Amino acid sequence: MMRMIAPDLRRRVLGFLLDLGIVYYFIHGSMYLYLAVWGRKTLALYSYFKLQHDYAFFNPLKLVAWQWWLILAGTILLVILLRTFGRSLGQRATRFALQSVVGDRISLRQRVVRILLLPFSVVATPFQLLLPATRRQVATHGPLHDALSKTSVGLYIKPSDQPRRPIWKTQWGWVVLALLGITFFLGWVIIDAEPEALLSPSEETRRQISGFLRPDFTHLMTPEPALTQNTPEVEKQKISILNLMVITILMALIATILGAILAFPLSFLGARNMMSNSVGAMILYRFVRGFFNLFRSIEILIWVALFATWLGYGNAFTGVMALVIHTIAALGKLYSEQVEAIDPGPLEAIRAAGGSKLQIIRYAVIPQIIPSFLAFTLYRWDINVRMATIVSLVGGGGIGMLLFWYRHSRNFNELGAVILAIIIVVWTLDYISGRVRERIV
Amino acid sequence: MNTCPGEPDSPGPYFIMSQPHLRFENLTKVYERGQVVALKNVSFTVERGEFLVIIGLSGSGKSTLLRCINRLIDSSGGSIFVDGVDVTELSNAGMRRVRRKIGMIFQHFNLIKRSSVLTNVLSGRLGYMPMWRSVFGLFTKTDREAALRNLDRVGLADKAYARADELSGGQQQRVGITRALMQDPDLLLTDEPVSALDPATSHSVMQYLEQMNQEDGVTVLASLHFLSLARRFGTRIIALKDGELMFDGSPAEIDEVKFKEIYGEDAQEVEVR
Repeated sequence: MMRMIAPDLRRRVLGFLLDLGIVYYFIHGSMYLYLAVWGRKTLALYSYFKLQHDYAFFNPLKLVAWQWWLILAGTILLVILLRTFGRSLGQRATRFALQSVVGDRISLRQRVVRILLLPFSVVATPFQLLLPATRRQVATHGPLHDALSKTSVGLYIKPSDQPRRPIWKTQWGWVVLALLGITFFLGWVIIDAEPEALLSPSEETRRQISGFLRPDFTHLMTPEPALTQNTPEVEKQKISILNLMVITILMALIATILGAILAFPLSFLGARNMMSNSVGAMILYRFVRGFFNLFRSIEILIWVALFATWLGYGNAFTGVMALVIHTIAALGKLYSEQVEAIDPGPLEAIRAAGGSKLQIIRYAVIPQIIPSFLAFTLYRWDINVRMATIVSLVGGGGIGMLLFWYRHSRNFNELGAVILAIIIVVWTLDYISGRVRERIV
Repeated sequence: MNTCPGEPDSPGPYFIMSQPHLRFENLTKVYERGQVVALKNVSFTVERGEFLVIIGLSGSGKSTLLRCINRLIDSSGGSIFVDGVDVTELSNAGMRRVRRKIGMIFQHFNLIKRSSVLTNVLSGRLGYMPMWRSVFGLFTKTDREAALRNLDRVGLADKAYARADELSGGQQQRVGITRALMQDPDLLLTDEPVSALDPATSHSVMQYLEQMNQEDGVTVLASLHFLSLARRFGTRIIALKDGELMFDGSPAEIDEVKFKEIYGEDAQEVEVR
């Protein structure tokens, strides 16, 4: 039984290049690891690999100067072998596979013929493509090494009368595993991980831990003098653990409510099924979605830093504005995904009864999305409370002020108190919002 | 009848005599740049008060035909005249006015699941309500009373405040019928109204449609799968095959030969009582 053969030269080349990249990554990574881990111990290795200074090779992106042609040839040969014997990762990624024109299984002879003919094919194929007479032949039968070995690399249709090969039996499966392994190993070496450091705490660490175990709540309700030297009496009252905690929670609450209200109308503009009427609408849709993605990519702390210069350093309002911007973008994206997931049936019904666009939204769209909107908003509030505790690091207000001051002044007992207060509050709010969300959905 | 006062849309008695309620002229619909032909030059007329049943295989164009009438789908060619007005040429605002007199019932009911039955029924009046009333959900007392009366008519008065998805299939379709009733329609389009229901409930729902047809004078177009239902309820039958009209006549005229022509050589008739 013949499977479908569809030689598509561009995708084949793409698959080949992908495999080339993967194999080269392995080779480069292995060489780097060899030098970085074992090479450090013998300086002789550096001169063998023609490296002038030992620090030159600690740049992982630097190509090895040692006989690059050998490496390239080896890579290409390895890729050819991988692609011919078994289904390589590049073939899997481009959904291609080696298939036989005659019969189901590809014989060893066919594979060897392919490899031997490949150099001739590489030279001959460009000429064949140029001449119109041979171009069609290449289009139907494939390049020389395909045609003469009666195989082809084409779209792989999974046979439904045979079970799929389990992943651990496939070449590409092992390659993926090896990729993960080598990347992890490389990462470990490049970032200079020192797990031994975990086992030998310094004197200061011991003091920190003992400080946490005996938290000092003196400034729970009385203002911390170190931070209130130049502030007026009214403002002084705010800088105690409890008051700052209240301020932090309120910061998050205001930011979430404001963000949700502003994100609500935007979410319809960012939903594909609402905006597919006209070209102008689709442009607006892309713009809104782009806005969401961009503003979400910038982490809240960075927003705080940006707003701090504008609205004032150490100001709770700065923190709120930064949270609002990020909340609008994050909630907007979640909301629009919900709007895109609604059942179109009720919309059809209201439209058929003579409803206008606004009426359709009010009666068919909104009832479907309210539960998930509320759930997302509560979830966002959780996140905002957590972020609000640390925004003061870059210029927002909130409990972070005390947190980082005590850390800076090495006052570990009071630091422990602040951290304990944060844990209690955040945990409680998490629990409450979780229970409320359960009831809504 | 459930007329709401001050409603100017019903045509006067003179129209009933002079022109058919619906006229299709070479209606065509293609998808995928001409690759898929859903409807091909379909032409026929429908008189007022008829109960027209449309039969045919799945994919023969029944749903498309119905949806072209109220322009849920825009046709690719040809015209549809509703009371002499070509709906394929109407603006959006004009179309909305026409749609509010055309009720529609769907195979999968298309109710607003989380809303109450009453809200679903009242949403049939949306085409007649000013914007500010509909945004805030301020339905008039007249509308509410009419809704409860209509629910009583289909036997669901005690479920008025239940959530729509708490009802059974047959009950949900009856809510759909009530919603259409609220529009005070001249024309009722039903897209496979009983395909998702068991035989007994199917018969019951079809009887409500028949009631609307005979007591209220509503022209009903129904697409059905079961010929026995078509024979029982239809005054006229139309058959579609691959988008083309291939039978237009009374239910009695469909014999074994015609049946196989419409449904194909291997088809067997199934009795649904």
